[in-house]
Amino acid sequence: MIARKEFNPPTAPAGSRIRTVIGPVHPALKEPIKFLFEIEGETVVDVDFAPGHAHRGIEWMGMRRNCVQIIHTAERICGICGVSHSLSYCRAVEQAAGIEVPPRADYLRTIYGELERIHSHLLWAGVAALELGFDTLFYKAWEVRENVMDLLEYLSGNRVNYGTLQVGGMRRDIEPAQHERIFESMDYYTGLFDDLLEMFLDDSVMKTRCRDTGVLSRGDAMRLCTVGPTIRASGIPTDVRQDHPYCAYGDLDFKAVTPEALGGEVHGDVYDRIIVRLLEVKAATQIIRECIDKMPDGPINAFKKLFLLLNHVKKAEGEGVGRHEAPRGEVFHYVKLAKNKEEAEAWKVKASTYSNLMSWQTMLKGQQIADIPIVVASVDPCISCTDRVALIGDGKTSILTNEQLRRLSRRKTEALRSGGAP
Amino acid sequence: MTISKALNKSLWVYHLNSGSCNGCEIEIVAAITPRYDPERFGIKLVGTPRHADVLLVTGPVTRKMKEKVLRVYEQTPDPKLVMSIGACCISGGPFYESYTLEGPLDDVLPVDVYVPGCPPRPEAITFGVVTALRKLEELQRRK
Amino acid sequence: MNPDSIDRLLSPAEIVEHFGRLLGDGLVASSVYERFEGRKTSGSVQIWLTIDRRRLKEAVRTLIGIHFPHLTVISGCDVGDDIELNYHFYIYYGRARGEYGVFLKTLLPKSDPAIDTITDMIPGALTSEREKQEFFGVTITGIPDSRRMFLPDDFPEGVHPWRKDETGIQEHMVKKLYEVGKEPVEKRREAAAAAPQQPQQPQQPNEAS
Repeated sequence: MIARKEFNPPTAPAGSRIRTVIGPVHPALKEPIKFLFEIEGETVVDVDFAPGHAHRGIEWMGMRRNCVQIIHTAERICGICGVSHSLSYCRAVEQAAGIEVPPRADYLRTIYGELERIHSHLLWAGVAALELGFDTLFYKAWEVRENVMDLLEYLSGNRVNYGTLQVGGMRRDIEPAQHERIFESMDYYTGLFDDLLEMFLDDSVMKTRCRDTGVLSRGDAMRLCTVGPTIRASGIPTDVRQDHPYCAYGDLDFKAVTPEALGGEVHGDVYDRIIVRLLEVKAATQIIRECIDKMPDGPINAFKKLFLLLNHVKKAEGEGVGRHEAPRGEVFHYVKLAKNKEEAEAWKVKASTYSNLMSWQTMLKGQQIADIPIVVASVDPCISCTDRVALIGDGKTSILTNEQLRRLSRRKTEALRSGGAP
Repeated sequence: MTISKALNKSLWVYHLNSGSCNGCEIEIVAAITPRYDPERFGIKLVGTPRHADVLLVTGPVTRKMKEKVLRVYEQTPDPKLVMSIGACCISGGPFYESYTLEGPLDDVLPVDVYVPGCPPRPEAITFGVVTALRKLEELQRRK
Repeated sequence: MNPDSIDRLLSPAEIVEHFGRLLGDGLVASSVYERFEGRKTSGSVQIWLTIDRRRLKEAVRTLIGIHFPHLTVISGCDVGDDIELNYHFYIYYGRARGEYGVFLKTLLPKSDPAIDTITDMIPGALTSEREKQEFFGVTITGIPDSRRMFLPDDFPEGVHPWRKDETGIQEHMVKKLYEVGKEPVEKRREAAAAAPQQPQQPQQPNEAS
């Protein structure tokens, strides 16, 4: 155990660097990641990472399962974005097999996608507050999130892993009798929105901790192929829903959300990412309302019976691509079907954090150790569960636990509050 | 239900992800929020296994994580209980066959309580921890 | 300013023609696909191009000249004697309803599965290239970091999970998690077959159902 020190970053003797390991139980979408930091004093000098701890061989499993079984597997690639993966997979198979989806199913898919976005962004907001030391805000954000979880359970039967998507459409409809409950939920969030913005953005300590922390410049964001709120916070207004529309987004007037919407210039830091995500919650409530108002009538699935779908896909041949703007960024599925074979010939899954992995290296260089949790969490890699930090230097090994790392982060907040040096 | 003095009316819980999809993770973290409020039972989520009484493990154990899971188990002091949360831990769940998974959790660690579901609801997880408390008390009494 | 860059917006047909002009016979095949959804107000465009593998880097440079692309991922499939790789690029992002997907497909023979890296032009491609090396056994020449990415360190060399031939995953490497703790399937089947057969009650068809 390292001795407790006062919060004064020690000036490191010249040329002394410590290698620190964080992980492997960690916040990436698919896998817990092991980070290797090179630290000089309190500043991070270099970053390396080794993913693969949650590699379950899912794409290989896809080569042994038929298209309906793969949907259930795809939903469980990530628990928080279950709709994203199953939606992208369904669209990929529909392109490969030439299946036309009825318009009503497209609108229903959009509604589920946006509901998932609300719940995911509120989850992230709570986790970001926890990393900074605002426990009350964490509990508040998750309590507020329970409303949309109840709504999802009311519509689909489960809080997580809804199981409502099918190749060719949907399995379950949203009846007009259920619309009232949906509007009640949307009114609740619209009324709460200004309070949320104030709690997260107007706090002076939040501003000091998050402004100009973990900056990702515009050029870097493009070259490293980042996606989602991370790239939008760096000033590039790109969003799959706006640029390459699918489902009902082609009919709606949707604009990508960038930090300029709240006025002010774009810094590409953690604060901008908070702005983008909170504004997207508001946009999501508007999209859901619009979808319900404009929902077309008709069937919800191109195939009435399951065996018809399976026969059609078995005889189909071709390749297809499905893309969706998940809460974390772009999710991409590629499917190749072969004739007279029920199983997929090839299936490639790309989750959003896969694209954002490389941006961590650029964002973490030059940051202090106490800022590592919030910068890592700002890319929204599912759940922040940093495991343990091992300091290995000069032959002495000491273990810093998650608690101590978080304590470091909180001490910095308190020091800022009491007017001390950051 | 009497709560043994050794545990001092509280049960500290450490959650370990051995390669899961995070569905069970978010239900565990949702279980400590004000809506379900397990702190009235004294259940608290801690940041290190060395403070923990109960290990909540999720996920089918991947090959890379197997050694870490064993290490965390050894670092948790006795008396301790292991709970496997979710279908993946119990029998593999949707990942029932793979080249890189080391099996359901009871192939790796001795498990005391199983909480089925994909993912199990927060109420089910709280009920599981309370069952673990009863079992731990029973173990203490038998000593 | 890149002298090859083009300032005006191209249509999908013009893009195909531009590639054809610059690559000549390096462009083996092409097709444009458009998909309309919802109330069919606007669609999304995909341009599929099959490129000879020796000209892939040139093709990516041509694409950068049109608009700096976003590389989503490199996907692939084992097709018998070759490994097919698809590079999924997207250009004109940031333009409402105007993004094109440009997918470059190449075939690598299994006798010599080598291809040039594109990380010098697009650093974000590193993750995808490392993944292809370990999962397909492709050699990416010039890659700055060729360590394993997702597979465990003690995974046997020479085994490539996404291949369908003898270097792929063999049945003995697969663990069936639902079988752990139970008797092997063959034994259970033998036990069921050896159990004395119960005489079958004749089922009377129910008139009402």
